[in-house]
Amino acid sequence: MYPDDLQYTAEHEWVRVSGSTVRLGITSYAQEALGDIVFVTLPAVGTELSAGQSLGEVESTKSVSDVYAPFAGTVSARNEALDANPELVNSDPYGEGWMLEMTTADGALDDAPLLDSAAYQALLS
Amino acid sequence: MTLQTSPLHSRHTALGAKMADFGGWDMPIEYPGGGVLKEHAAVRTAVGLFDVSHLGKGVVRGAGAVDFVNDRLTNDLRRVGVGQAQYTLCCDEQSGGVVDDLIQYVRSEDEVFLIPNAANSSQVVSRLQADAPAGIEVEDLHTTLAVLAVQGPRSTELVQALGLPTSHEYMSFTHAEWQGRPVVVCRTGYTGERGYELLPRWDDAGDLWDAVLEAGAPLGVLPCGLGARDTLRTEMGYPLHGQDLSLEITPVQARAGWAVGWSKERFWGRDALVREKQQGARRYLWGLESLDRGIPRAHMTVTRDGAPVGEVTSGTFSPTRRLGIGLALLLPDVAEGDELQVDVRGRTSTMRVVKPPFVPSNVR
Repeated sequence: MYPDDLQYTAEHEWVRVSGSTVRLGITSYAQEALGDIVFVTLPAVGTELSAGQSLGEVESTKSVSDVYAPFAGTVSARNEALDANPELVNSDPYGEGWMLEMTTADGALDDAPLLDSAAYQALLS
Repeated sequence: MTLQTSPLHSRHTALGAKMADFGGWDMPIEYPGGGVLKEHAAVRTAVGLFDVSHLGKGVVRGAGAVDFVNDRLTNDLRRVGVGQAQYTLCCDEQSGGVVDDLIQYVRSEDEVFLIPNAANSSQVVSRLQADAPAGIEVEDLHTTLAVLAVQGPRSTELVQALGLPTSHEYMSFTHAEWQGRPVVVCRTGYTGERGYELLPRWDDAGDLWDAVLEAGAPLGVLPCGLGARDTLRTEMGYPLHGQDLSLEITPVQARAGWAVGWSKERFWGRDALVREKQQGARRYLWGLESLDRGIPRAHMTVTRDGAPVGEVTSGTFSPTRRLGIGLALLLPDVAEGDELQVDVRGRTSTMRVVKPPFVPSNVR
């Protein structure tokens, strides 16, 4: 449910860090709490985000939730598949349901409040 | 406050349902392996089973019970006979606002059964009790009967498989037995599909629930929560009390005038409602269809050229149409086909004014 090779935020996002590129999505807990996701709104490639800024919305049949940038960076890729198949966030939140890739400035991740899998699961319990 | 629980509560938790407070009752919103979209699709294409035991139940008994009810609730009970059911409204005597919408079932001239909403049941019962003359008794039966809604195009096959009657018309009911136990079989529902509402005794509900799921398995039955119930009813434009109908919203405003017996001499709220009907209401309930990715939600403001023209009362994503739909109370000069703007969390979404239903009804 919460892979060890990812890091997590208290706002129920996951990030996968590879060098200066970070892939981001929402956790299994978050998609489960939202229910069936029907729209995902994401920013355009090139958008600059500051830490804590809303980067998009995930809307389900019954509610809508903001997704926040855990650190500053520039959007380098967005998951275009979610426009037509937003349910990928429900069925495969850490794989095909990824949302964004961001490039970050050196050191931007150092202060980011990221949790490992065990710490995130402790937060949920 | 402790939430009340249905006789099927342990079955819902055993299935792992997401539970939530619904009118003071801890009820299932959706089930694992289902979810709103799959449960919705089951009802539109096969069959779904809902526990709606939280719905209120009451009975009016005594000589002239039909006349007693007919002189108070809005619809004309004389248009239906024994064994038939009718949608009606309980309005406030002074304002004409809606205390509750409910179904009334004529058992005989001297007995009318009522199914109000969970949260308003005691209000309806106590208003009738307070007005009852000698010889008329109004009893609250909230937890003596459960309600299992079996809804969808394959519901008839399922109910037949249980050995229960299915040949009666839409909006009628019949008393039957299932394994020697009494069950009222009503051809009613809140989904827009052909369907049944089964009323077993409270303590028989668990066994009947198990039997419906077992008999329905080859038909593709899914247990369905109140999440799908809401998307299904919104697609039909059926109002939900507390959102599209309320003490502040009259039947004239909600276009529920078809459920008012205007030619009757008496019903609660008649003076106020006749006056409003003649003068024209200050707002009317319409459907809204999103022309972009915006989904209308209750309490969002609707504008026209920047000026407010009303408020969304219900809104959701339509799983059938795959777009945002809603109901909204709008100024009287708004017309069908108008394109209006809805403030969706700071973004402007364009929506078209339409007459519900949003998908065709298949209730008959």
